[in-house]
Amino acid sequence: MNKQSSGKKALNFLGANSVPIMFIVIIAVCIPIVGFSPTFLLNEIVTRLSRNAFLILSLLIPIMAGMGLNFGMTLGAMAAEIALIFTSDWQIWGIPGIVLAMIISIPISAVLGLLCGKILNAAKGREMITSYIISFFMNGVYQLVVLYMMGSIIPIIHNNIKLPRGYGVRSSVDLTRIRKSLDNLLAINIGGVRIPMATILIIVAMCLVIIWFRRTKLGQDMRAVGQDMEVARAAGIDVERTRLISIVISTVLAGLGMVIYLQNMGDMATYSSHSQIGMFCIAALLVGGASVDKASIGNVFLGVILFHTMFILAPAAGAKITGNEVIGEYFRVFVSYGVITVALIMYETKKRREKAGIGQQLAAAQREGGVTRA
Amino acid sequence: MRKILFRVGAVLILLILAGIMMIVGRGHTIYFDNKTLEYNGESYAAIRRINVFVNGEQVAKLSKKERGMATCMGQSFSFDIEVIREKDGEPEPYHFDLSLPYGMDGIIVNLPAIMEGLPQEAWMSEFIPAPPTETEEDELPSDEFEMGGEV
Repeated sequence: MNKQSSGKKALNFLGANSVPIMFIVIIAVCIPIVGFSPTFLLNEIVTRLSRNAFLILSLLIPIMAGMGLNFGMTLGAMAAEIALIFTSDWQIWGIPGIVLAMIISIPISAVLGLLCGKILNAAKGREMITSYIISFFMNGVYQLVVLYMMGSIIPIIHNNIKLPRGYGVRSSVDLTRIRKSLDNLLAINIGGVRIPMATILIIVAMCLVIIWFRRTKLGQDMRAVGQDMEVARAAGIDVERTRLISIVISTVLAGLGMVIYLQNMGDMATYSSHSQIGMFCIAALLVGGASVDKASIGNVFLGVILFHTMFILAPAAGAKITGNEVIGEYFRVFVSYGVITVALIMYETKKRREKAGIGQQLAAAQREGGVTRA
Repeated sequence: MRKILFRVGAVLILLILAGIMMIVGRGHTIYFDNKTLEYNGESYAAIRRINVFVNGEQVAKLSKKERGMATCMGQSFSFDIEVIREKDGEPEPYHFDLSLPYGMDGIIVNLPAIMEGLPQEAWMSEFIPAPPTETEEDELPSDEFEMGGEV
């Protein structure tokens, strides 16, 4: 009996953590093939962890509120990019440049989040696909603003930011003056591994805020809404407002996270930096063992480490195995999208099973009731 | 009422912080010129050798007609120079504290003129970069669904 239950437990564990386990296996196979030194690998992982963790943390709150994976985080990323275009044009350098970009991104992200939240409230039950399409729609608006309004209606002074035609922003904005300003602040070196302490402290502070937030009234309301909207409504919770706030918070955090991300990169691809960020962050979170309806801080860190270790290893492994680095690139892209697809399928299957289970229970109860009446 | 006060307070704090960041983070590029300057009919000749130090670090070693460069954040800037007027001559140290105009990105400081104690308008001027000559358009966005990307 015990043996059976422990076997079942092991199977359940494997089933629940199949994605992280698969990634651990891939990484374990790739590391000896690639032959990177542990110092190099650790340096890369720490850099990518500090670069991406904040962005991925921004996804947790909508999941808590039952709104699934917020593909609309791209909106926050766009707000951050607009803010960085301004700070670059105003020549605000270093940490003040980063802080100012964050401050400017907040109202833009909040307005975009509000818009996204309103639309998602009108599309309950289809939040993920709706937020995904909103991000495409807003990308068009972003292009209109950045490509046609900046330099003509919105003042942009510097020629190195403007397109040669006199308006619109160049496809790449140089962020050298803020590059790694945050990462270099309080940075320490342990055994050849550079640790950006200030960035990590910010990420830790964000984790603590999320833990605290879960215990607040609003956090509890979000969890209640996430579990069952109708029950939450019956309990007197303003469901629409709670969901709206969760998306606004997520979008604002995504904006702040994007500033941290871009200060690490030191260069901004104006028209494409934001387009993939949502997809990669969601993939990383899912790789960490999260699902559409459940995610934790632990999933964020495990996900970043596994997903990005694979990102570091895959091109080199592809080059070693097939002689073509592009194969490794294709592999990592295939895995990113594959993980999201599998997670969505698993979520739908689970939901249908639960529905079928409830249906069976109801049918059984009706049968029993019928027998009693007879 | 309390809620509104908190919200207004938060917005005010952010605005004040943004204002402070705009002042303390304003970046300038300072160009040091060792060039002869004509001012009010007088000529201030370039010097044989000038070494420029910012925060104790040497940023330029200028012979006649040469230009050095340093960057700084904020509206005040201090630098030291060592002036060597003749071959094997003793270096003469000078220290200067400048107040930088907010609106200028690049500021040219003429060292022979500032050493003579001339007014700011004589030794400070704005550096205006040459207009870009490139004609090619940047790669503009397309509606393709991209696959990869740096993360």
